[in-house]
Amino acid sequence: MTILLEMKDIHKVYPNGTAANRGVDLTVYEGEIHALVGENGAGKSTLMKILFGLEAPTSGTIEYKGKPVSFKGPKDAIEQGMGMVHQHFMLAPSLSVSENIVLGEEPKKGPLSMFRDRATERRGIVKLIETYGLKVDPDARVETIPVGQKQRVEILKVLYRGARLIILDEPTAVLTPQETDELFASIKALVGQGYTIIFITHKLREVMEISNRVTVIKAGKTIATLNTKETNPEQISRLMVGREVLFRVEKQPAEPKEPVLSIRDLHSVDDKGAPALRGISLDIRAGEVVGIAGVEGNGQTELVEAITGLRRATSGSIRYLDKELVGKSVANIRAMKIGHVPEDRQTTGASLTSTIAENLILDHYRNPEFKRGPFLNKKKIKQFAKVMMEIFDVRAQNEEVLAGSLSGGNLQKVVIARELSKNPKLLIASQPTRGVDIGAIEFIHREIIKRRDGGAAVLLVSAELSEVMALSDRIAVIYEGEIVAVLDNTPELTEENIGYYMLGLGKKHREKEGAAQ
Amino acid sequence: MKTEKAIYLELAGIAFAIVIALLCGFAVILATSAEPFTALSSLIVDPVSNLFNIGTILNKAVPLIFTGLSLAVVFQSGVFSMGAEGQLYAGGFLGALVAVNIHGLPAWIHFPLILVCAMAGGALFAGIAGWLKAYWNANEVVTTLMLNFVAILATSYFVNNVFKDPASGGYARMPYISPDLLLKKPIPGFPAHTGFVLALLAVVVVYLLLYKTKVGYELRLVGKNSRFADYGGIHTNRVIISSIMIGGALAGLAGIVEILGVHGTYKDNFSAGLGFDGIIIALLARNHPVGVLIAALFYAYIQVGAQTMQVGSDMPREVAVIIQVMLVLLVSSQAIFAFLKQKYATRQKAVK
Repeated sequence: MTILLEMKDIHKVYPNGTAANRGVDLTVYEGEIHALVGENGAGKSTLMKILFGLEAPTSGTIEYKGKPVSFKGPKDAIEQGMGMVHQHFMLAPSLSVSENIVLGEEPKKGPLSMFRDRATERRGIVKLIETYGLKVDPDARVETIPVGQKQRVEILKVLYRGARLIILDEPTAVLTPQETDELFASIKALVGQGYTIIFITHKLREVMEISNRVTVIKAGKTIATLNTKETNPEQISRLMVGREVLFRVEKQPAEPKEPVLSIRDLHSVDDKGAPALRGISLDIRAGEVVGIAGVEGNGQTELVEAITGLRRATSGSIRYLDKELVGKSVANIRAMKIGHVPEDRQTTGASLTSTIAENLILDHYRNPEFKRGPFLNKKKIKQFAKVMMEIFDVRAQNEEVLAGSLSGGNLQKVVIARELSKNPKLLIASQPTRGVDIGAIEFIHREIIKRRDGGAAVLLVSAELSEVMALSDRIAVIYEGEIVAVLDNTPELTEENIGYYMLGLGKKHREKEGAAQ
Repeated sequence: MKTEKAIYLELAGIAFAIVIALLCGFAVILATSAEPFTALSSLIVDPVSNLFNIGTILNKAVPLIFTGLSLAVVFQSGVFSMGAEGQLYAGGFLGALVAVNIHGLPAWIHFPLILVCAMAGGALFAGIAGWLKAYWNANEVVTTLMLNFVAILATSYFVNNVFKDPASGGYARMPYISPDLLLKKPIPGFPAHTGFVLALLAVVVVYLLLYKTKVGYELRLVGKNSRFADYGGIHTNRVIISSIMIGGALAGLAGIVEILGVHGTYKDNFSAGLGFDGIIIALLARNHPVGVLIAALFYAYIQVGAQTMQVGSDMPREVAVIIQVMLVLLVSSQAIFAFLKQKYATRQKAVK
């Protein structure tokens, strides 16, 4: 086997002193699927940015096709035959699939190559799609096609530019199980034609399923490179976090009691004014976790915002312990012991340029307990923050550290600490572990189950189907603003069962919510 | 520790900007003056060489402290108001009207009343921009800049026509304010008036307000991340309006203190850009009240230095303008800070 790419002893220290890479080695053979795994913040993305010329390494060497290279920018890397499919798609939504693929390298014709050669373009695209079996309608506008197809467009874009080494950065994060299967089929087909794939992920199941070899990175260093066949998920996870990780959340069967939240025929619109919720009805009872499963963008965000008062409901009702939430202000709702872990901690869940303490007191600073005369009681705040950081294992120098300097996991713990500090009777957790390392995921999952067992009602929204399945007692599948199925989370339930409903392929005539009341 | 380091870097960046700006001024002096060293010493040393000049620095710093604080407050709430100048006129005008037209009140009631009216004038005028922003989503940069013209021209009209002192001759001014209402110069031979004490008091009050109270917490939170504030149930619109109004009140104080301390009455166009200088001060101070105090003193020092240089050498005072402009350029370019941090980090790595 020939070595296609060799990165040696890569170091990267950012201007603010953060060392993202502290000696990473990566060797990729031609024609293999090489998985790159590591916790969030382990330095995977930085390594790929360095490879792609987006960041300059502080030290270290890169050899590609046997020659030392140092890319000044993505353009150099692309010319050398590398292509990257980013986690967040880089597509122009209003252009067609084919326009997106050729963008910047359109076939030209006429004097001074002034005009686009649409015929050649068309032939090229059709051939490309046929050659690789990545089915997508070249004339469809990108904003109208599903996520799985958008990803195919990204891959086609990379292939069109002549890439032989393709980097996929967490490609399955936004896909349904079915779409993931299709992606894997495409990847295998590509490798069959001699392409080389670097597959970045933190889902070990995928590593086992698709990769030939796997490189584990931890805290900016390469820990090991293993042949996938000779290893197992437990070993990889041990290498990733330095200890065994519980993949199954340990929990007792739920003992649900009275309904805490009863949503009836709730309607609302998205930011553009288009209907986002079309008659949602759902009960969440004390002592149970109800998980919302669904492909992102099917109304999950709007549902959570409607409950928490951040979005106006156009009709319907939300009863919470005999109080109507529709029409109440955010401040009122937050004061009712409703905890809300928002889906985006960076923009909504925390103020990054404020201190940890300032982030923690969001619900408490109005409280007389935290006041001294006209002033805030600094001592009390400090004490409170210290206790919270202790209980929720927030790792930082002290409570005066800026929230923005925390890692994803620690920042999320700050958010969770704040939302749990008021002992919520209803906890709404939206993407509670997105972009969080495995250690923190375990911790957050345990906290959620602890609250459930303590009698809180929990609404969990997650794009991670395995998370929904691990935590929930019941799973409500949302599709285009409707709950299309409510399933009891029995051991027989599979991802495929849920995926069927997630794609809107069927509707389960579920028990009438409210009959229980 | 991390945050402390960040503060030092920030301070180093500001110091760097100041040094470069001064060097630019020096370079111009060296290049154009026939007696560069006299010019330099009259720019740098003369302002602090006698009590009179020091007092002048303090007096010049007073309105700058107020306008600097005014803008620091609004900037901290994430509002980019340019309206301190107009608010200063509105507040100063109302305060002066109360000072001139109400008679028979004892000074200890009358004086605070004047200050309160000046604050109210500034705050209410600022409230217009706040209301437009919060409820009509009007860009505050545009509205405040336009409203400055409204305030300046409206007050100018009134002082030229309706409220003009008949005895003023060609000058557009109100009648002189009774001397017992004016800010005193308590130390004989030292020209500083007691407005400086008020300014110090304002620094303390604004500091406490911003960093120690619920209002300040909400205000800074809205400025740092308004989505987070919304999510936390804070009424961001109300916070924005109140921060703009607090800023307006401080700008109004700038106007009235300048009137009571320096001019003795309301004169047409008395400010000549104090509100805009406040923007530079707030930028230099990174919106921190204590920083505002230091920045305003430095700024006043340069201005007095420009005067002493004009008198003491062949250089015109416009050299000070060069220094000010360089300061604005450098301080507002965050690039220097990024550059410094980069240097710092790579050096650290090299040491390792």
